[in-house]
Amino acid sequence: MIVLDKISKKFNTKEVLKDISLKIGEGEIIGFLGPNGAGKTTTMRIIVGYLKPTSGSVRLDGEDPIAQRLNVLTQIGYLPENNPLYTDMKVDEYLQFIVDTKNSTGDFLRSIIEETGISDVLSSKIEELSRGFKQRVGLAAALIGNPKIIIFDEPTSGLDPLEQEKIRDLIKKLGKKRTVILSTHILSEVVDVATRVIIINKGIIVYDGPKPKTDTAMEALFKKATGN
Amino acid sequence: MSKSWVLARKEINFYLNNPLGYIVAAIFAVFANFLFMKDLFLRGNTSLRPFFDLIPWLLLIFIPALTMRVFSEEKRLQTIELLLSLPINEKIIVWGKYMGTFIYSLVALVLTLSIPLTVNYLGRVNITEVIVSYLGVIFLIGLFLSVSIWFSSLTKNQIVAFLVSIVVLFLSVAAGGDFFAPILPRVFLEIVNMYTPLYHYNSFLKGIIDLRSLIYFGSVSYFFIYLTIVNLKSRQ
Repeated sequence: MIVLDKISKKFNTKEVLKDISLKIGEGEIIGFLGPNGAGKTTTMRIIVGYLKPTSGSVRLDGEDPIAQRLNVLTQIGYLPENNPLYTDMKVDEYLQFIVDTKNSTGDFLRSIIEETGISDVLSSKIEELSRGFKQRVGLAAALIGNPKIIIFDEPTSGLDPLEQEKIRDLIKKLGKKRTVILSTHILSEVVDVATRVIIINKGIIVYDGPKPKTDTAMEALFKKATGN
Repeated sequence: MSKSWVLARKEINFYLNNPLGYIVAAIFAVFANFLFMKDLFLRGNTSLRPFFDLIPWLLLIFIPALTMRVFSEEKRLQTIELLLSLPINEKIIVWGKYMGTFIYSLVALVLTLSIPLTVNYLGRVNITEVIVSYLGVIFLIGLFLSVSIWFSSLTKNQIVAFLVSIVVLFLSVAAGGDFFAPILPRVFLEIVNMYTPLYHYNSFLKGIIDLRSLIYFGSVSYFFIYLTIVNLKSRQ
């Protein structure tokens, strides 16, 4: 269970998040939506303990992601925005590095590699891969250690429609066993994969409820919630 | 396997798989060999003191060139977010990177062993003195690394990290010599001198392992490593 209680975040004088509260249960696939600069990435960064909230508290199964970061972060798989990777490394070296830093046994590594479809590029340097393959490598790294919670920040951004569909299918598959938070600006993606929708605008949660059934309804909801 | 070692190994592999590591180490070794060897026969003795006097000036360029990317690059490429979202604490990250660059610096230092070996072939060198002097170099490397890595953690611009490190290390080395003698009072210089890396490094060059110098190098290096850890935590 992820609990955010009255989280605020200020960067200098700019308030990016304003008293947001959330509860996310096990097995949910959350579609986290909002216009650019709404506070999606900041919220994700606070959940994984990369940023400290100015006020309020975060708990993952009762633990603080900053004070108890070593325990908490073993339960989280995180794909940050823009998918930063050590591009000078080969794919297999990079995945082994993640296995070692997560103290994972690497038992599931073979299945993760097959699930993400990167078997053929294991010995390639990451910098030589296409954007789609880089994204898959980032996904594979997030899945190492069999985390209970997976957080994806714009996982399909910049991918072609075919690649987007493959990633979406993978997320749906992952959501059967885990809690997934998916931040995206693609509304149809949320309709396709999410079980619940949260919309944030100007640092405030403006909608938290079931996902609409159609893309049109999703679009109408988004417009109503954000005024965009 | 310890997580610090995982990070240290990653750093070492970076230098071994990228031109930067080879270029910086090669330039260091070539300059050390050339600047010492060019006057060897003019000097007419087998003292290695000129070589060890030269080393701090070379290290103040070599070390920042090696470390400028350590955190700056992570910040620029945003991989710092990836690193800090892995179950590793900041202390382990900093120590791991410090260990990795330290080990690679020692590899570059090995390339200078040709100097004592050549001189020993031409005449006789005091082996104990050479070993103690090299120990001084190793401590100096440790201190310079901790300072340069701290500067690298303060900015995402590698060039800024490189230049600021050079300036600060230059001032710290110069304050230990006669550089400021014409402009600062002698009493003041004598006091400052005792707290410079060069003062404590010189005690090794005399063949003495002074406990005060060991404490100086250990505590100053640890202080800057600690500052780097604090800086990494302050992102929050």
